[in-house]
Formats: sequence, C-alpha cells, structure tokens
Amino acid sequence: MSAPIVWRFKESKQRLVGGRCDSCGRAFYPLTYGCPYCGARSVKEFVLPREGKIVSYSIVYSTTDAARFETPIVLALVDLGVARVIAEITDIDPSEVSEDMKVEAVLRKVREEGESGVIVYALKFRPLLVDGD
Amino acid sequence: MAKILGYGLTRVERHYDKGVRELAAEATEKALEHSGIENVDFIVVASSLSYLQEPQLDIAGYLASFLGLRGARSFAVEAGESSGAAALQVAKSLIDSGHASTVLVVGIDKLTDYPSQETYRHLQLLYDTYSDAFYNIGHAGIAGILMRLYMKAYGVSREILSYWPSMMHSHGSSNPYAMLRFRVDPSKVHSSAPLAEPVTLMDAYPLGDGAAAIVMSSSEGPRAGDPAAELVRIESSTGFPSPALSDDPLKIDSLAASMSRLGISPRDLGNVDVMEIHDSFTITGLLILETLGLADRGKAPESVAEGRFTVGGDGPLVNPSGGLKSRGHPIGATDVYKAAEIVMQLDGSFPGVKAQDARLGLLVSVNGFGSSSYVGLFKSV
Repeated sequence: MSAPIVWRFKESKQRLVGGRCDSCGRAFYPLTYGCPYCGARSVKEFVLPREGKIVSYSIVYSTTDAARFETPIVLALVDLGVARVIAEITDIDPSEVSEDMKVEAVLRKVREEGESGVIVYALKFRPLLVDGD
Repeated sequence: MAKILGYGLTRVERHYDKGVRELAAEATEKALEHSGIENVDFIVVASSLSYLQEPQLDIAGYLASFLGLRGARSFAVEAGESSGAAALQVAKSLIDSGHASTVLVVGIDKLTDYPSQETYRHLQLLYDTYSDAFYNIGHAGIAGILMRLYMKAYGVSREILSYWPSMMHSHGSSNPYAMLRFRVDPSKVHSSAPLAEPVTLMDAYPLGDGAAAIVMSSSEGPRAGDPAAELVRIESSTGFPSPALSDDPLKIDSLAASMSRLGISPRDLGNVDVMEIHDSFTITGLLILETLGLADRGKAPESVAEGRFTVGGDGPLVNPSGGLKSRGHPIGATDVYKAAEIVMQLDGSFPGVKAQDARLGLLVSVNGFGSSSYVGLFKSV
C-alpha cells in the first residue's frame, strides 16, 4: 500500500467517516457514491459513533505476513448502533473476547509496508475503558 | 444455443513444475481434442490471482499464441472467485449474439508460487479492501465471523457443521481431478488446526493450482454424438461488499437475486439432478444451500449430516466432484471446473461419484460472501 493510497484513506480509517443517505436515511461504512441500500446518489459524509458492541468475532491464525508477530489477531463484526463494521479488536488477549462485549475505537498500527514503505495506521476497537451506562 | 462440445481439466495440485501457460495448454488441448474443433473465434480467459503469482498482463493475448491459436480474439475476465462463471456468461453472450460460433473458455490460476502467508495476502483482495480487508484478515477471517454468527443464531453445534467437509472428501476421494483424495471423519474436522476460529483447516479449501477449459459452440460438433450438453441460461447479480452492510448476513442476497433472474424457484430445484456449488468454507456451502432454499434456515447442517445431498439422498446431488474443499479451488479456474464437471455428469462420463440419469445441472458461484454471485443451468442433449 503506497503513501498516496494510505493518505486517501485518512478520513475513513482514522476518523471513522462513513456515509448516510439523504434519501433513505441509512448510515453505513465505508463512504460510497451511491447508497448501498436504496441506490440514491445523495450520500453525505457521516462520522460514525466510536463505541459499539461485538456481534460476532473470529480469532484469525491464517494472517498475512504483515501480522506475523501479532498472530492470532481478532476480527469482529461490531454494531455501532446506526451501522455495523468489520474491524480488528485490539488491546486484549484473544481468549477473553466475547460476544456482546462493549468496545471503542482506538488508533493502532495495521502494518508496515516493508523497510522503506509507509506505516499504516487505522482505527481498531478495544474493550471499552469507561462504561458510561 | 450455447452447446458445450468439449472440456479438459488438470488435476488441482501444487504444480511447482508448471506455469500458467503450461497448465492452460494442458486443459485446452484436452478440450479442443474432445470437441474435434481446431480453431476458435474467441478465447475468454478466466483468471484472478495469476497476475500476482506469475506476473503477466494481457494474459489472454500471450496465451493465444502459446496455445497455437494466434489470431483468435482474446481477452481475460476477472470477477474474483466468480471469474470462471463471468467468463462463461461472456462466452454465452458472444454465441447468443452471433459474434462467435466457437469460444474457448480457459480458467487458470496458481496459488502456490509463494509461501501461504503471501498467498493469503493475495486472497485477501477477494474481500473489500476499502473496509474489511484493510486489516490483515487473510482469506478466512470473515468466514470465521459468519460461522460463529451462524452457530449462535440457530443454536447449532460446531460438531454438526463438520459433516459438510466430510461429505466433500467422501465425494472427492474418487475424483481423479481432485487435489485432496482422502476421506475425513467429521470428528477430525473440528479438531484440526484453527485458521480463523471457529473455522479450522479442514473447513477451508486447500491452496492449489489448476486449469480447466471448455469449448462452447453455436452448432453441433463435427463428431457423432456431440454436443455433450447445453448451457441453457446463466445469470448473476452483485450484492453487498461486506456482511457488515447486510441486515441478514446469513443469507447471500446476490445469490437469491441471481436465482430469481434465472427464473428457478426452490420448488423447481427439485428437478435439478446435480449441482456444483461454491463451498470455499463449510459456512459458505451451508449458507448457499439455505439461500437456494434447499434447506430451511439453520437446518442445512442437519440435512447434510442426514445425507440428503449425497448419493441416495432425496435432494439434488451436491458437489460430486468433492467441491472446493476436496477438488480444490484455483480461484479463477474453479467455475470452469464446475462447468466441465456438470457437463460430464450430464453426458455420463464423470469419472467419480455419478448422478443417476442426470438431465439438469446447476452451477453456483459466489465471490467472497456475495459481492457477486452467478448461477448457470445446464441440460443434457
């Protein structure tokens, strides 16, 4: 992944900017040109909530080389209320992850593109530190 | 009418000694010889990963000359795991529109030219790199999420899911083109090494290389008894890029849409004798059975365990080849394998588990978990 590509993803991967359709009202991630639900081309940028809960997850061993030293990693379907995302879970022992666990977005390293390439950062989700409920 | 006059397959294997062109040539030579045709109007190449594994652009142009078909019109079609079905759809359009009388469809992919971690990085591109596949998810991460979701939603045990790979290996054990020709007890599936928990190694397709070819024609072949079968209709639909966008991620929307375009209801499926479906993972195979309506939601594992989809079962015979699990899954080539296997079932020449007096066959293909789906109906002639 080159520097320009990583740069283009900054809003999406570091601020959790998704889309919301002016026509049907649905929110989703990532941002698209046309609405994935109703097809209307009236999608506006929409910053998604940074807290949610795990719907389902997988402990992934068959990772790519970039995650060699972090394997296994946890990948989860996270419900943010208005939308769902699939994202990596971080800052937790994989054996302690569970369904319905409350999580929050946090910026973490995803991969290093070789010795001279960019270091790619993105939001992952960690167990919610302070539960406001 | 799109008639299938010939087919040729290579065994799916780790073909370290054969490149993209050699494998494609092996399959093509068999297909052309079987069809009795020496030249074709078009070559449609189905390939997805090959340009990452054995780098080459305009693969179809270079292949044409290599195959001794210089001058033929030629291009490649890429639709991820559904590349083969997409190539078949294009080939049938060329025939039906009158642009071509004969089309060679060649599916080719290699997955073993690099260590598996590098191939996992290539396979990760089958998923949405703008969302899910931005992370280092490999090829099995989303399957793991969906399998756990399935088990929880329907209260299904991990153990009963293991009957699918066991059935696939039982079918594939007598298929000479299958990569993994050994039987597997269900108990060995869930106790094998984890790939993406709860998905284990034995829930997933093996990494293998392969090529398959078919010759499609608008008219009867030059030989007595031809053609072998007809591709009646092939349909497709695009769908959600990620299960995260679907309100019902345990149903493959693009597949349901493809089936309704094909005009086949779950009840009509009772007339289909044999199917080759896309079981990239155990969960994919089961979700496809349920989306097609061949089993009630949450009940496919039970139907599989009861033997409904094997020889002697009351459902259609599903994946007599052994499926992606046992025959193997050389990504862009896989649907061409399925097409050839279905044709062989319809003309009675399949050299493994056979459907009895098969008249109708269905090809089912899905990329990822539904970014695209394809369904093709074949009949014997």
